Amino acid sequence: MSGICRLRLAEERKQWRKDHPFGFYAKPSKATDGSMNLMEWEVGIPGKSSTPWEGGLYKLTMTFPEDYPSKPPKCKFTPPLFHPNVYPSGTVCLSILDEEKSWKPAITIKQILLGIQDLLDDPNVNDPAQSDAYTMFKNDRAAYEKRIKLQARENTQK
Amino acid sequence: MSSDYEYDDDDYYDDEDMIDGTQDDDEISDDDMDIADDIKSAAKGKLKSYEVDYDSLSQSEVEKHIRDDTEHICGILGVDLSTAQLLLRHLKWNKERLIEAYMDNPSKVLVDAGVALTESHSQPQAAPIRTQSSSSSGSNSRRPTRSSSKLIPSRSSRSSPTSPTTSYSIPKPLKASKSIQHFLCPICFDDDPALRTLSLDCEHTYCSGCWTAYVVSKVRDEGEHCIRCMEEKCQLVAPDNFIQSILVPEPGAPVGDPTEEAENAKVWARFQELLIRYFVSCNRDLKFCPYPSCTNTVSCPSASSKLSLTSVVPIVSCGARGIGGQDEQLSQSQGRLGALQGKEHKFCFGCPIEADHRPVICAVAKMWMKKCRDDSETANWIKSNTKECTNCQSTIEKNGGCNHMTCKKCKHEFCWVCMGPWSEHGTQWYSCNRYDEKAGQEARDSQSRSRASLERYLHYYNRWANHEQSAKLSLDLYAKTEKKMEEMQITSALTWIEVQFMKKAVEELDKCRQTLKWTYAMAYYLAKGNEKELFEDNQRDLEQAVEQLSELIESPIEPENIPTLRQQVTNKTVYVAKRNEIVLEDTANGFLDGRWKWNASVDGFDDPDPSLIAF
Repeated sequence: MSGICRLRLAEERKQWRKDHPFGFYAKPSKATDGSMNLMEWEVGIPGKSSTPWEGGLYKLTMTFPEDYPSKPPKCKFTPPLFHPNVYPSGTVCLSILDEEKSWKPAITIKQILLGIQDLLDDPNVNDPAQSDAYTMFKNDRAAYEKRIKLQARENTQK
Repeated sequence: MSSDYEYDDDDYYDDEDMIDGTQDDDEISDDDMDIADDIKSAAKGKLKSYEVDYDSLSQSEVEKHIRDDTEHICGILGVDLSTAQLLLRHLKWNKERLIEAYMDNPSKVLVDAGVALTESHSQPQAAPIRTQSSSSSGSNSRRPTRSSSKLIPSRSSRSSPTSPTTSYSIPKPLKASKSIQHFLCPICFDDDPALRTLSLDCEHTYCSGCWTAYVVSKVRDEGEHCIRCMEEKCQLVAPDNFIQSILVPEPGAPVGDPTEEAENAKVWARFQELLIRYFVSCNRDLKFCPYPSCTNTVSCPSASSKLSLTSVVPIVSCGARGIGGQDEQLSQSQGRLGALQGKEHKFCFGCPIEADHRPVICAVAKMWMKKCRDDSETANWIKSNTKECTNCQSTIEKNGGCNHMTCKKCKHEFCWVCMGPWSEHGTQWYSCNRYDEKAGQEARDSQSRSRASLERYLHYYNRWANHEQSAKLSLDLYAKTEKKMEEMQITSALTWIEVQFMKKAVEELDKCRQTLKWTYAMAYYLAKGNEKELFEDNQRDLEQAVEQLSELIESPIEPENIPTLRQQVTNKTVYVAKRNEIVLEDTANGFLDGRWKWNASVDGFDDPDPSLIAF
């Protein structure tokens, strides 16, 4: 099982280095001794242009379980993001990341990250994960967008 | 859907069928046979008014129903067996709805059920048509037509989901694409040319190792029987023979890792069980036995509707005994379970309570359980640690300070000792010698009235809990007694049969305590009146008899007093059984006659008369 997991992650890494969408980054994390940990990736997702998310690069940790790709990775924004579908812990609530919903082993890291990018400006109000962002999104769209723009500025790339 | 199973149909479970242990047309696995024999006796004979008519089915019998349903659909819709199964599962085994939906729009149903590809992926005439099945024969016609090594699903390939197989043994064509050069599995990125590859009709091809890992994780970890293709958004569902081919090596296949194969065989068995559980859960007449690792099903059509549960208490037994066939080991390792070993798998068909809750009906039993869970400990604590404000009745805990209380809610000032208003205490700040003053007495009265309902509840709850406790204790006692009796068999002239009376008495006691326990739940909710009094009379008679028998059992056993003791215990046991019967029968008849009135609103009954509401 873990055989598949590491093989697949190594290949994902190769594919990503060959080609990846503009503005994104994704790399396995490094342990303190400098060795590479394939099971945990650090990724950055840019906000789409001409949305309030534009300009921000949102950092995310992907943690892969031993039975990946049968099970999906856990994606967690660090620090937690102000977004209706992000739990207060930072974990992303998205159907393709749920093994009981739409997760399929064939979904690649690239597809996941593009999926999360889509989610940023297109939250799913049927599945709220935090109350702050959800209530503001529902009740005061102008204030919500202002808050998002502020968040984008806080997350600009150095 | 329920109308199609006639479980009480005699020739279906004909006795001779079972006695000689052979089934004419379907294979029954060996381990199911011993259970099947027990089942027979369960529902035969004249039923008492507190019993329900039910039947117990082994896994293979349920499988036969599944097969019958599936074949029925095959015949009507002209689809093959595995298609029919996926269709039926998709529509929750509702045959009428399936036929209707299929007649209305076959291709939509096939796509929704994950049998056929969506229009965009397939040719327009993807829907199986009866005539097609006769023209395309054999599985050879379904080889992939792809020649390139690309992994894009080839849209031109044939996608007719029907193949005219009518037997389970012929697998749906698995695309063993040996011809493909440089295959790279898109899941694990393995490109070993010796890789065995598989795909569903969608042609999304992966190596068998990835398929196995995926299926195992779906079945074992998620308990999922509906396993879709691994490609993103592909909704195609893997048919059973596909799953089987993944988990069970074909005969003649190279021998793999034996531990892994054993593990996969377990997953395959689990998969089949999941299918049966799903079928059972879709059918209101059926319920899976809730006992651990038991795979029997009980059919009880007379308790399948909500309305019927207002007049019957459908206590059923799946016929099996003990836990997962290891009861023998259990009884040896745990002496206290001695009397419990081989205990019948008794449960309620109408609600999730895994015990005999006769005589009380499900709705009331559930109300009581909920109340006990929510309130018992809290109520006890409130009773012993708090008082109520004499003005606003808020519950107050005194956690320090002097006796001059000020209610946080209504600002009423009172004395904790006499409960009278503080104003009467003047300047005597730290002591109260005014206990007998009128105002204080009145305040205490109002407090005791508000406590009455709590007291009432605790009265019933304590008795309920007491019987539960006593039942446990008598089992402990029995374990001890049994040992003693074994010794006596050796040291005295008594024979085995002569010391068996104790076992019978304990079993009867256990049964009666169970009844008694639930009579308290019933009495708590019964509206005051003649009926309740009669009920409580019966309850009292049973209780007295039970306590007497209990006492007898606890009397010391010496070889010389055994004959008298045996006489007394046997007599009492018969009497207790009689009293128990009376309580159960009378209560059950009461439900049938609509005699019982409640003091709270119960599902399926008229709301109670306001004057009868007790709390």
